[in-house]
This record gives sequence, C-alpha cells and structure tokens, in this order.
Amino acid sequence: MIPIPAFLVLAGILFGIGAVGFLVRRNVLVALMSIELMLNAVNLTFVAFNRAYPRAHVGHTTAFFVIAIAAAEAAVGLAIVLAFFRLRKTVRSDAADILKN
Amino acid sequence: MNDLVTLWVPLAVLGLGVLLLLVDVLTPPKKAAQADVGWLVAVGLLVIFGATFLVDVQGVAAYGAYRTGPWALFFQRLFLVAGALAAFGGVEDVQKRTPGRQGEYWLMMLFSLSGMVLVPGAQNLLLVVVAFELMSIPLYVLAAHGKTDPDEASAKGNAAEAAVKLYFVGALSTAFTLFGLGLLTGLTGTTELARIGAAPLQPLAALGLLFVLGGLGYKIGMVPFHMWVPDTYQGARAPFVAFLSVAPKAAGLAVIAGIFAFGMQTQKSLWVGPLGMAAFLSMAIGNLLAVTQSDTRRLLGYSGVAQMGYVLIALATGEEFGLAMVLFFLVAYLFTNLGAFLVVHANAEAGAGFEVDGLAGLSRRAPKLALALACFLLSLAGIPFVVGFWAKLYVLLAAYRAGLVSLVVAGVVLAVIGLFYYLRLLRAAYMTEPTVSRPDERFGGPALGLAIALCVVAVVGLGLFPKPLLDAATRASHDLGVPAAAPHVGAR
Amino acid sequence: MIASYIPMFLIIAVGILLATVFFLGSTFLGPKQAKGAEHNTPYESGSESSGGRHVRLSVKFYLTAILFVVFDIEAVFLYPWGIKFRSFGWLGLVEMLGFLGVLVIGLVYCWKKGALEWET
Repeated sequence: MIPIPAFLVLAGILFGIGAVGFLVRRNVLVALMSIELMLNAVNLTFVAFNRAYPRAHVGHTTAFFVIAIAAAEAAVGLAIVLAFFRLRKTVRSDAADILKN
Repeated sequence: MNDLVTLWVPLAVLGLGVLLLLVDVLTPPKKAAQADVGWLVAVGLLVIFGATFLVDVQGVAAYGAYRTGPWALFFQRLFLVAGALAAFGGVEDVQKRTPGRQGEYWLMMLFSLSGMVLVPGAQNLLLVVVAFELMSIPLYVLAAHGKTDPDEASAKGNAAEAAVKLYFVGALSTAFTLFGLGLLTGLTGTTELARIGAAPLQPLAALGLLFVLGGLGYKIGMVPFHMWVPDTYQGARAPFVAFLSVAPKAAGLAVIAGIFAFGMQTQKSLWVGPLGMAAFLSMAIGNLLAVTQSDTRRLLGYSGVAQMGYVLIALATGEEFGLAMVLFFLVAYLFTNLGAFLVVHANAEAGAGFEVDGLAGLSRRAPKLALALACFLLSLAGIPFVVGFWAKLYVLLAAYRAGLVSLVVAGVVLAVIGLFYYLRLLRAAYMTEPTVSRPDERFGGPALGLAIALCVVAVVGLGLFPKPLLDAATRASHDLGVPAAAPHVGAR
Repeated sequence: MIASYIPMFLIIAVGILLATVFFLGSTFLGPKQAKGAEHNTPYESGSESSGGRHVRLSVKFYLTAILFVVFDIEAVFLYPWGIKFRSFGWLGLVEMLGFLGVLVIGLVYCWKKGALEWET
C-alpha cells in the first residue's frame, strides 16, 4: 500500500513540471500540453486524497469533472491556437507581441 | 421538481441560450445574416431581470450545492444587467462585422452568463469550479470572435492574439485554482463551502489557499496576475471587452468572497495579509501604469486593475459591512466601466481610432457622447455626485472601520494619481481641437446609444440616490452569513 | 516493501537483456552487404513510398478529432451513473436523459453547422 503523501509528492512534481514547462517553452502547443499535465496532477491529488475518506467519493467525482473541464478547455484552446497560427504563420509565443505599449 | 424552481434563474438564461441555438440552426443562413439576433438576447435578459423582482424563491437545491437568496440574487441581477447592456452595445457591431456568425457570438454570451449566474449561489466547491469554467470557456471563444474580419487590426491577428493571451492565462489559473482546491478539500475532507474552514488548517492547506487566491486573482485581473488585462482589452472587440471588464470580475469576486470571507472566516488571519497586499499592489501598479498609456483601451484596462484593488480592500475586511460595500462598488463599476468602454467604442466607430488623441474635440463632434464620457470618467475617478464617489467612499469607510488604516491612506493617495489620467482623457475630449472634422460622422447605431444612455442614467441616478442600492447590498451581504464585525485580527 | 517490486525489476531487466541480444545477434549473424539508397527507404508494405516527411494535415482531421474528444469525454459521466443506476430510480434515469438530450442538441448544432461534412 503506497502512502498518500507519496502520491501528493508525485502530483506536486508533475504540477511543477507542467508549470515550468508552461513558463519556459516558447511553443504554444507545448504550453497546451503543460496545462494538461498540470490538470492531470490535479486529478492525481483528488484521487489520492479520496483514499483518506473512503465513504465519500468526493475525490473520484471531482476527478471526472476535472477531466471534462480539461477536454473542453483543450478543444477551445486548440481552436484558438489554430486561428493564431493561420494569421501569424507560427506557433511560437514570442509572435504574440503586437499588443503592447 | 423543487430544485428546478430554485434554479430558475440559471435555467432561464440557459433556456434562452438553447432557444437561440435552435433558432440559429433552423433559420437559413441568408436570413440569419440579416436578423439582429442581439435584440432578442438583450430583451430576453431584461425580461429575466424583471422577473427576478416578481418571483420570490429562496432555498437550496441539488442537496445543498446551490442556495438562492438575496446574496445570489444580487449578483444574478448584476450579471443580467451587464449581459443586457453588453447586448445592446454589441448588437450593431456584431451585425456589421460578422453577419454570418451572429448566432455563435450570442450563444457564447448566453452560455457564459448561465455559468455566471450559477457562481454566486454555489455552496459546493465542485459546483463553484464547474460554473466558473462554464463562464470562462465561452469568454475565450468570444475574445477571438471576428478574428478574420477584413479590417486592418484583425488581419494582423489582433483578436487571435488577445484570445491566446486570455486563454493561456485563464487555463493556467484554472490549473492553479484546481490544484489549490485539491489540497484544500483533500485535507479537510469536504467540498462544502460552509465546512471547509471548520478544521484546523495544516501548512499544506494554507499553500492550497494561496494557490486558490492566485488562480482567482488572475480572473479578476489582480496584481501580480494582471498582465493579460491590457493586451486582451486592446485586441478583442470593444463591445465584448466592455462585458469582459465587468461581469467575470464580479463573478470572480463572488467566488473569493464565498471561499475566503464565508468559508474561511475562522482562519481570517491567514488570508487578510495576502489579500490586503494584493489590494495595495493592484491600486499602485494599476494607477501608475495607466498614466503612461496612449491607447484608451489599455488605459481603461489598467484603471480596471486599480479599481479591483479598491474592491479588494473592502473584501479584506471580511465583515458584513465590508462585503456590502464590495457589492455596491461592483454595481457602480459595472455601469461606469461598461459605459466608458462603449463610449470609446462609439468614438472608434466614427473612425477616430482608440488612441487617446482620437478623443480630440469630442465635445464638439458629439456633445452628448462627450457628456456621457465625462460622467463615466468622473465616476471612475471618484468625484462627488456620481456613483463612483460613493463607491470609493464606502469602500474606504469599511476598511477604516475594520482597522486597515494603511490601506485607506494608500487608497486615497493613489486615487489622486488616478485623477491625472482620467482628467487627461477628459482634456482630450473637451479642451483640444478636433484633428479631423467630418460632418457626417456616425457614432454607432441607436442600440449603442441606448446602452450608453442607460449607463449614464444609472451612474447619475445612483450617484444622487444611492440609498436603495445601499440597502439592497446590505441585505445581500447579510444573507451570505459572514460575521457582522469580526474581532480585531491583527491586520495592519 | 521493496521486495514486492522485485518481479517488476526482473521483467524490466529481462526485457532489456532480450532486446540487446536480438539487436546484437542480428548485427553479428546477419549477411553483411553494402547498404544502398534502396535500403534506407521506409518500408510501407511493399508499395513505393511517396512524398516528404513533413505532410501538413488538413484541418478537417483536427475538427473531427476534437469533436470526438469532446463527445467522448462526456460519456465518462455515464460510468458512475451506470454503477448506481438502480438506486437512483426513475429520477436518475430522467436526469441522465436530460444530460444526453443536451449532448444531442450539441450534436445537432455541429451537424447543422456542417462540422460533420467532410467535403465542404
């Protein structure tokens, strides 16, 4: 039986990898993937904590909703990235620099 | 069945959306391109708004996950009015720029609104998250609306860039909020707002709390999470930005109030510090950066960041009186900021662009519009006899009563800086000669005029008679169930 | 604790070992011959390969894929409902039908907007 803190550490590491990837990589598609990774870390947290309260399935149900939210967000995000790519011919986030002072 | 009655406001908005969807799908494209769908939305939302005064429903639904009462109703009315005004303000723009895609625009608007009206009533963190996402995701789509419009700005992909920025910041904030909520609910073992604060807080849960504050702070444009605000405001269509700059922020504050002031009221000493700090930084950075802007939309964006700082002062008190002032401020901000953006939009429609210099000679070119702009700017600056004055005064009063004296001093000093750039806009509109003079300028259509007129009436009317709104805000705040006057908690 | 992982490590070790043996074995035992241009072309079931490596895929694939993902994910809510199906009774059935009804409306919207047409 793997203890709950181990899962939390793993979730924290995954979330950290996602956050760092989001901030460091200049490719918007990689940024999208990083966000997915972070949301999966969230799911791991919810499911791991559910073990502490076996009678209530709060963690499991929440994970389902997080999955649905992530899918909806990814769909919209890809569409926006696609529109951005069509107009600017690149998926690098440096190209998003017209709107500034 | 009772649940459906209790949930009638979100269901009505959703029903309007589904109705519109079916109309959009069933009418032939050519006919749909000629119709002014926005009128249907605006009138429909106003009808629902009127019905909230006639139907008296209070109670819980969905096993206690949703509760309607004065608190939820206050926010719902705010959202419905914001939606209706944005619909009036946007109907001509949408019809003119994207006639074939009107249905999409208004559908997304209504779905976003249906999420918004769920937010303040949500008593369960799961519902809070889902409703908040239902609100946010359509907003990303709306920001990109009209991206292939043949005008110059869109051809460069400005709307797409605005959407990219709004989306990535929004998605990141969602991840942070969810991770924070995961830690919080995992350690307390419940998702009910009323019970998350009951257990003594472990360090990990405090970290989760900070993540939640950061994630929600993004959505309301709170410093240090404000970077997307000016860019998105500049790139997206102005009537949509008018909506984006008020309604989602109010929803974000409703969630912050629900989680922190209500759910975490016993752990007040934990969050008052970060919230007060964020309030100070928002006021300072928002006001200081707004001074340097040359684009009116960016200027109003930074001014919005500063205004959120003032709301957060009142929220940081965590008391009934302070929350009532939050509500009052939000209503004032709704009419003022929405109106200001619509005026800027109307001026751009006349071909003068969005630069501050583009406002030159507005008092001669369009006296009524200039007068409306003056009302809104004075209200944003907090000059007496318009509603913004009372809003600022009450917020600072609430902070003073709660002992947050340093924040009050900072608020007053920074409001003086705010005067500079608001008066700069006014000077451009009143004291400078028009650079171009064309007698046949058209400042948008009748619906846009109606929306601006309604905002002016509200700003001036509530400025002269703030009492009814104050009473309603007090009742709503009482309904949330936060301490009337919390014991002094060592806040600065 | 660690002992329970030993079978897993064994499988990994055997997997690596076998792969190495096969790889080295074919290098040493196989016929030595000159490797021409023909050798380096990808093997596509015997037919001539054509086109470059970087093929830009049509947006149509993306649209279909994303529609699939969205509708597919919604089905996840059917699983917990299915387990508790009997204890929910008629009300649960009606609520799930309502949920599916919303999905059907979405599908009708996609259909009517032409998102399901391949040739447009």
